[in-house]
This record gives sequence, C-alpha cells and structure tokens, in this order.
Amino acid sequence: MKRVVLSTLLSLLLPLAACTPDSSSSSNEDAATQPLVTSAIPDQDPEKLQRLYSKLADYLETELGVPVEYKPVTDYAAAVTAFRVGDLDMVWFGGLTGVQARLQVPGAEAIAQRDIDADFHSVFIANTNSGLTPIDDIAQLATLKGRSLTFGSESSTSGRLMPQYFLEQADVNLDDFKGEVGFSQSHDATIQLVEAGTYEVGALNEQVWNSRVQEGAVDLDQVQVIWRTPAYYDYHWVVNPDVKERYGEEFVGRVQAALMALDPSVPEEKEILDLFGANQFIETENSNYSQIEDIGRAIGKIQ
Amino acid sequence: MTRPAVDRPSWLTPRSRWGLIVLAAIAFSLWQARVFEPNRFNVGGIPQLLRFVQASVQPDLSLDFLQLTLDAAIVTFAYAVCGTFFSIVFGCVGGILASEVWWVSVLPRHATRPIWLGIRATLAVPRAIHELIWGLFFVNLFGLDPLVAIVAIAVPYGAIVAKVFSEILDETPRQPLIALLNSGVAPFTAFLYTLLPQAFLDLLSYTFYRFECSVRSAAVLGIIGAGGLGYQILLSLQSLRYEQLWTLFYALFLLNGAIDFFSAWLRRRLGSPSRLDLNLRKQARSRGSGGSLPDAHPARQPPERDRWLVAVGLGGLLLLPFSFWYVGADFSKLWSARTLELLGDVAQTAFPPNLDQSQWQLGMVAVQTVAMSILAIAIAGCGGILLSFPAAHTFFLPGGLFTPAQPSWRDRVLAWTGVLGTRAALLIARAVPAPIWALVALFVLFPGILPGAIALALHNMGILGRLMAESNENLDPRPLVALKAQGTPAALVFLYGVLPMTLTRSIAYILYRWEVCLRETVIVGLVGAGGLGRLLTEQLSSFDYRRVVVTLGWFVILTFGVDWVSGAMRRSLR
Amino acid sequence: MTLPAPLFELRQVTQQFDRSLALRNITLQIFPGERVALVGSSGTGKSTLIQLLNGTLLPSQGEVWALGHSLSQGSSRQRRQVQRQIGTIYQQFHLVDTLPVIHNVNAGRLGQWSFFKAAVSLLYPLEVEAAAKALHRVGIPEKLYARTDQLSGGQQQRVAIARVLRQDPVAILADEPVSSLDPELSREVMALLRELVQEMGKTLVISLHSIELAQQYCDRIIGLRDGTILFDIPSFALSAERIRDLYRLREPG
Repeated sequence: MKRVVLSTLLSLLLPLAACTPDSSSSSNEDAATQPLVTSAIPDQDPEKLQRLYSKLADYLETELGVPVEYKPVTDYAAAVTAFRVGDLDMVWFGGLTGVQARLQVPGAEAIAQRDIDADFHSVFIANTNSGLTPIDDIAQLATLKGRSLTFGSESSTSGRLMPQYFLEQADVNLDDFKGEVGFSQSHDATIQLVEAGTYEVGALNEQVWNSRVQEGAVDLDQVQVIWRTPAYYDYHWVVNPDVKERYGEEFVGRVQAALMALDPSVPEEKEILDLFGANQFIETENSNYSQIEDIGRAIGKIQ
Repeated sequence: MTRPAVDRPSWLTPRSRWGLIVLAAIAFSLWQARVFEPNRFNVGGIPQLLRFVQASVQPDLSLDFLQLTLDAAIVTFAYAVCGTFFSIVFGCVGGILASEVWWVSVLPRHATRPIWLGIRATLAVPRAIHELIWGLFFVNLFGLDPLVAIVAIAVPYGAIVAKVFSEILDETPRQPLIALLNSGVAPFTAFLYTLLPQAFLDLLSYTFYRFECSVRSAAVLGIIGAGGLGYQILLSLQSLRYEQLWTLFYALFLLNGAIDFFSAWLRRRLGSPSRLDLNLRKQARSRGSGGSLPDAHPARQPPERDRWLVAVGLGGLLLLPFSFWYVGADFSKLWSARTLELLGDVAQTAFPPNLDQSQWQLGMVAVQTVAMSILAIAIAGCGGILLSFPAAHTFFLPGGLFTPAQPSWRDRVLAWTGVLGTRAALLIARAVPAPIWALVALFVLFPGILPGAIALALHNMGILGRLMAESNENLDPRPLVALKAQGTPAALVFLYGVLPMTLTRSIAYILYRWEVCLRETVIVGLVGAGGLGRLLTEQLSSFDYRRVVVTLGWFVILTFGVDWVSGAMRRSLR
Repeated sequence: MTLPAPLFELRQVTQQFDRSLALRNITLQIFPGERVALVGSSGTGKSTLIQLLNGTLLPSQGEVWALGHSLSQGSSRQRRQVQRQIGTIYQQFHLVDTLPVIHNVNAGRLGQWSFFKAAVSLLYPLEVEAAAKALHRVGIPEKLYARTDQLSGGQQQRVAIARVLRQDPVAILADEPVSSLDPELSREVMALLRELVQEMGKTLVISLHSIELAQQYCDRIIGLRDGTILFDIPSFALSAERIRDLYRLREPG
C-alpha cells in the first residue's frame, strides 16, 4: 500500500521536476544539439511501439552523437502533416503515407526498410459462415462481389491501398460490395469484425495476421485466410532534408548506415530488430515506391 | 347539462405539428438506417461483445499501467483546463458581440438585427466542425505542439460558449441596463454593472458544464502527441487491449465524476442549481402574479461568504497556471511569422475549393449524416429522459417524492442502489468515447447507420441523462405535493406532474444536443455508414484539401439547418 | 345529545423540523360541516397544521386521525384512500404550469382514475363536460383549454378550486388561499368557497391572515401562537383583546 502511495506521489512530482529545465532549454540551445525527432505511424501494438522507439532512440543517439527524441502520433494524416511542417525529422511510414509525405516535402528521402518490406503481403480473410473458400487466382476475387468488406485505416498500404488495387485488377470495384465498405481503423479491429461476422471479408497486413495467429488470439474456426496478395514494397524510413542543414550533408548517409548496421548477433540490437519484426534493415530508395505512388494516384489517395 | 363553453382545440397546434414532423423525421431516419429490413442483428458477434464487457470487471491494474493512467489523466485534465479557459475568453467576447442586447445598447437608433444575426451565423462555422478536424487543421499550423489540442478545443467550444452566452444575456432582464444607459453610462460600463452580474451565476454554471465537456473532448483528441487519456485510449484501441481500455475509461469515469460532483457542490454553494438553464427564463417570468416565491428553490439563496468557497475558488485559480505550465504549450506560435507562412500554405492547397463532384450526390450523402444524427439524438433523448428519473435524488431516495413515508431498511438500500447504479451507468455511458461505442455496436449489428447512431446515442445519453436528472432535482415540488396530498398514486403524480413539468426542458436539452450529434458523426466513421463523416476522413487522409473545404461547407450548411429547426422548435415549446 | 364522530382529530401532536419546533402538543377535533379558520401571525404553524391534516406531513409525536383513520399508520394505499376525501387549496395554487387547464382540473380525479385512463386523457381529454362544469362553477368556463401559466393569479386560484370540486372530497383544506390575491379578488374567492361548502355540505378548514375574512366566512376560529393553540372559539366570541393577544410579540428573554 505504502508503495502505491509513494509511487503515486512520485508520478505526480516527477513530471513537475522534468518539466522545469525542458521549458527553458529549447530557446538557448544551438542547432547542433537540437534533437533528431523520430516518429512512427500507428500501425502496431502501441506498447511495443513505445518500447521499440525508446530503444531505437538510445541506439541512434550513441551511433550518431546527436540527441534523439521519439514523439508519438496516433493519426496517419497528422504524422504526414507534422513531417511536412518540420516537426518530425525521421518517420517510419507505411508505403502510401511515405509517398504522401515525400510528395509534400521536396527532397525527402526513403532511406531504409526491413528485409520483409521489400516483399510485403496483405491477406484477405473471411468469416467461415460466409461460405467463402480460399482462392488461388487473382481473377477469383470476383467471387467477393455482393459480400461485405472492411479495410483497416484509410491510409494503410497493407490494409487498404494494395488490397483495393488487387481487387480492381480483378475488376471488382468498391461499389460491388454489399453496403458501404468499412474502415475498421486498425488491423486488429479488422480481424475482430470479420471473426464476429459483422463483415464477411476483411483485408489486412499479413505480418499482423501471422503474429495474432501465433499468439492464439484468432479463432481459426471462425475466420480463415482466403487469399494472399502478391508482394509489394511497404514500410520504410523517410528523412526530412532539413537534417542535412542541421547536422551536415553526410548525416542522412550516417543514419542509413546506423540503421543497416543493426546486427542480429548483438543481443541489444537484436531486440530492436525483433521488435520491428525484422532480421535486418536494408537500403531502399524513392523509386521503389513508384508503383505505390501510381496506385495511390489511381485510387485517389494522392492528388 | 352544461355543454363545454369552448370547443376542443384543433389537433394542429404548432406543437403537435412539430411533433408530427419529428415522428416523420425519425421514421425516415429509421428507414434510411434499414431498420425495417430483417437481420440487422449479428448474433455471431456476441462473444466479441462479451469479451469487451468482461474486460470491464478485470481492468489492467498493474502498477505501471496505473501510473501511466494517472499521468495521462493529469495531462487530460490540464488540457481541459487550458481549453476551457480559452473557450470562455472567446465565448465572453463573442457572446457579447453576438447578443441582441449589446447592439441595441451601442447603436440604439439603428436596425442592428443584421449585425448580431450575422455574427451568430458566423459562429456556426467553427461549431460545425468537430474538434478532431480542428486538431488536424492546427497540426498544419503548429506542428505537434500541445497548443494544437488546446486550440482545437477552444475554437469550436468558444463558438458554442459565445452562442449560449449571447442567449443568456438576451434573456436576462434588461430594465437595470436600460436605466443606466438612459442616464448616460457608456454601454460596456453599463454591461459590467448590470447584465454581467445578473447573469454571472448562469455564466459560471455553464462554464463548469463546458469544462466537463472539455475533459471528454480531450479524451478523443488523441493526436495531441503529448500523452493524455485520449492518446492512450487510441493506442490501446488499435490493438484492442480491452483491459487497458477499461482502466482508462475508469480514469475518465473518475475524472468526469469528480468534476461533476465538485461543480454540483460549488454551484449549490453559489446558489445556482442548474448547469444549463435553457429556454426557461421567459416562461418563469410570464408566470402569473405569483409574487416572490421564497420557498420555491431553497437553493437560490444569496451565497453566503463561506470560507470553503473562498478556499476552493483560490485553489481553482491556482489550477489555471499549473495547467498552463504543465501542458507547456508554445503560445508564441500563435503569432509567429512561420505560422502565418504555414497558414498561407494551407490556404493555397485548400483554395479554390474543388466543386467538380456532383453536389446533388453530396446532398444525398448529407441526408445519411442527418439521418444518423436524428436517430442518435432520438435514442439518446428517450434513454436520457427515462434514466433521468431514477438518477435524480429527489424521487426515490428516502424522503423523496415517490418513497413511502417510513421506508424499511431494505427499501433504503434498494433506493440507494437504484440511484447510484443509474448514475454510474450514465457516467460510464458518457465516459466511454463514441468511437469505442461504435466498435462495440459494430460487433453485434451489421454495418450501416444504425450502429453509428447507437454509438452516438449511448455517449450522448450519458450526458443528457445527467443534465435532465439535474433539472428533475430542481423541480418545483409544490404541485407534486399537492397531487400527492389528494391521494394520487405515484404513477399518476408522475404522469400529471413530473412529466409535464420536465418535458419542456428535456426537449430543449435534446434539441440543443442534436447539433453535437451531427458534428460527432465524423468520429464514428468506422461503422461503414457512409455519410459526410466517412467522406471527410477519406479526403483528409488523401490530403485533398480542396474537397475537404467543400465537405466542411456542407457541415456548416447542415449546422445552420439544425440550428434553425431546433430554434423554431424551442420557440414553439414556450 | 351525543356529538357526531370528529372528521379530524389531533391527539397531542408535536411537529419538529430540523431546527425548530413548529407545533407543540396540539389536541384538536373538527366536526363535519364546520367552517374553521386558523389565524395567527406568519410562522406560527398554520401551514404545518394543514399539512398534517392532509397527510403530507407525519407528526413527530402524537397522532392525526382523519375520517376515522390514523394517518400515521397503515399502508400508503390506505392513506391514499383517506386523502382522496380531503381536498386542499394552496396559497401559490400548486398547479402544473405547463399543462392546459383541463388537465389540472381533471387532476382532481386522479385518485379514482386508472393509469390507462389518465394516460389517454393527457392525449385526448376525457370527462370534458365534468371539467367544464367545474370551471363554470368557478366562473372561468372559457379557459378550459388555455395553458395554465397564461392565466392570471386569480384565475389560477379558481382552477385550483375547480380541481378540488372535481375531487369532490368530504373536507376542503385551504392554506392561505387568498394571500396572493388583491382584496377584491380575495372576497370573491372566499364567497365562492363558502358557497360551495354550504351548498355541498362540506367541512372547511382554512388558514387566513385576515381576521375580518375569518370572522365573515367561518363559524369557528382557532388562534395559533408559537405553535400552540391560544384560543378556539366561535367567530362571534372573538374580542379585540384576543386579537391583540394573538399578534403580541413574545416577551424577550
């Protein structure tokens, strides 16, 4: 009991203590020690996200010799906007949001992605009561006409953009579904809503699906995968060109190198890679996402 | 045999006409929501629903998470304080400028109607847009600064406060003001010495109510980027951690409950029992030649100078600097050159508006939005009215209107359980944000307008039920005692006394809240209902600002419409 | 000659509120057909006495009997049965403002009506003729469908009387029914009350500020001071000295 009270008191006081220097510091600091602000769009387990980024921030701080800060953002559009106005220096974007961000910030570069992002997939899942069975050819997506479908978030590459693209490849438009297409706002909600039978079909990130199945969080009697999409490029790090002004021309290269230097054989670094669900980070470039950009334009997500 | 001296009045009074229109609108909305089609209920989702409900009894109580929750609650509280502060500042200025009485005082010999009507109309624009959308807009100007959340609350709330304040000022008796003006006192000074002190208690009560609303708003503004309950709720929602969600809801529950309790206490001390006095003053004034009613509202006595009140007042004043310091927003951004530059950027991307979509089609989409809001407010209103009676402490508790003279021990326990249980249910209903209710509703209902309406209804029912319970508690008990004294059974005392006395005010609350439901359709987009909210989120996530402006224009038009209809209906109730 | 059974009886009744003593050890009988006035200055317990008689208040000590039943015993249902025979008129009328007059008049019948009938009548007024007749008796037949809060004070008091007429009780209690009215209206309302009571053979217990009205319209006067009965005499026996006594301030100390 005493401990609870004490920690409560502490948690009341700590932020007070922490705030004081913070408010005065930003003004009299010179550019060299201004922190590199990183962020990520919300797509993953939030707790994990928090742990992930504080670890990564520590790692980058030692590698790069500049202070690194993590700012949480919970909205895709807000993350892109904050990147545009220069409040975020380096963001872990999804495929589509990365393109949106780079189009709004001339000179922004995609620098690194996970090994799995070069070969990323979405899955279509269906409630077993719907009577839908696995399909093995994209043309068979036409069997989904007249069913109800939910995506994840509007800006999600794996939970919306690419699934919609493949549907259109099979000549299935959003109007062909029963009622309005849903946007569950997250991959986990998509699983739950399809499992409940509210929507007969859902589309989501394969990585999330696999990890939920592994955790045993999915009732496989209720919901099953009916199709795995072809591969596409997804998540990647995007850096704002402002950092070159602040830390020097070669800084972007150093960040890229630091990310790729994460070594699965070093325990602490493996932890970071594990949290990202990656074996290692690999180089990437803007042109890898031209397909996404084209699809984004076709679907209307990029103006 | 005496024939009645007057014939039965026609059925078609303005009231009954509105009643018919309301019924028709609800029927139309139900049809839009496809309620009449079979199989709207999804039995398959019951396990998911149960999982959510079950988590309510096993919230995440680990020390780490509790600490995080506590910290988040303080942040949310601080945001709400700052947001309320600015909305009151805006509201006072805007309220005076939008009031008829101000312009009549300043320009006594001019036709001022167009001026204040114009200002009132302008205020509909910020009100039409949800806090969340304002938040996204201000990220464009201020980046991820805590300022975003404060301004996102302050702008729409400031407009709402201005509207309500102007109505309060216009309904305050004017004779003292006119006396001062006629003796040559400058308008603003005259205001300071007459209307403002006269209306002060009402303004203060409403300020407390706004504060409660700010806390709830801060809880959906997750983008604020600096923690807070809203941020944590959004994070936990994304991975559907119900146990954590419930811990956060209980924190909101406690926060809301504490503010609720505290403001009720303070208002009682100050002698202003109701937090939102809508539409009733004129009625009260026209009340017969009753003379002064010393015992009508024992609470309406001049406030004594009590030490508690002073202490609390000082404490409250200290909370303000604390909150500003704790939030640590960079207010210099409000006037910095960069903000102006960014505003220019946004304006450039948003104008000229893109009007090449068919506005007819948009109109049809708008109809869906209106249908959802009508259904939501109808359900919330009915539920709120029903629950407001068991939630009021003047009815069923010992010594209450409907309690036996000498209740047994068991009766007392039952009565208290009933009152506290209903209040807790209302508190939970409003503590859980509407998007969460939407997800829950979506488990057991097929997608469409209905789950969205139910989600909005649950959240707003919690708010309306509380407001109505309060107005029930402030009811003039005398006509009810008179009915009781002639041996009328409790059910009929209710029917002939309580119901007619409360219904007018309850309906006024409902109409007032309707506008809020309309705005909130934006945040339950996940229900797959279409409507303007769905369109808006799609356009925002595509950074299609030229179309966003058009959609927001539709929201403004709808808000005008709702404002007009609800104003006309409230007038017919008088 | 044996007296008839009393309609109301108070046996050593004391009424205590939170801080103050309103009535002290009152014993009193009121018989059928009497017209009793309660007089005394404000705060001497007149209203409390009326509230005890109609069962709104239960005495702190002692017993109140009405129509042969003790109001402090028995179920609330039994108490309601008794209350149906007692009509009350109040100083501030105590009407439901927002309802049309007809419902306030018909409210007098609520003790007899079923829930269903009462509910239907709110939507489609029932027993209109009876209500109209009652309003006719009190002189405002044209106000049948008017909204109550649009009536003047005198008219509202008439509605309250019409409500009691509809209730058709054995006894009518009136708690300062004319204090909110001007002298002219007061006399009209008092005359109306007396007429009704005499015509229909009801018992009247009325608290009044005005001694003249009490003497003029009642046959028995009870003077209350400091929560006790100072005198209880026939109207004709009221002397100027008694009146002075009644309003004399209590000796300090």
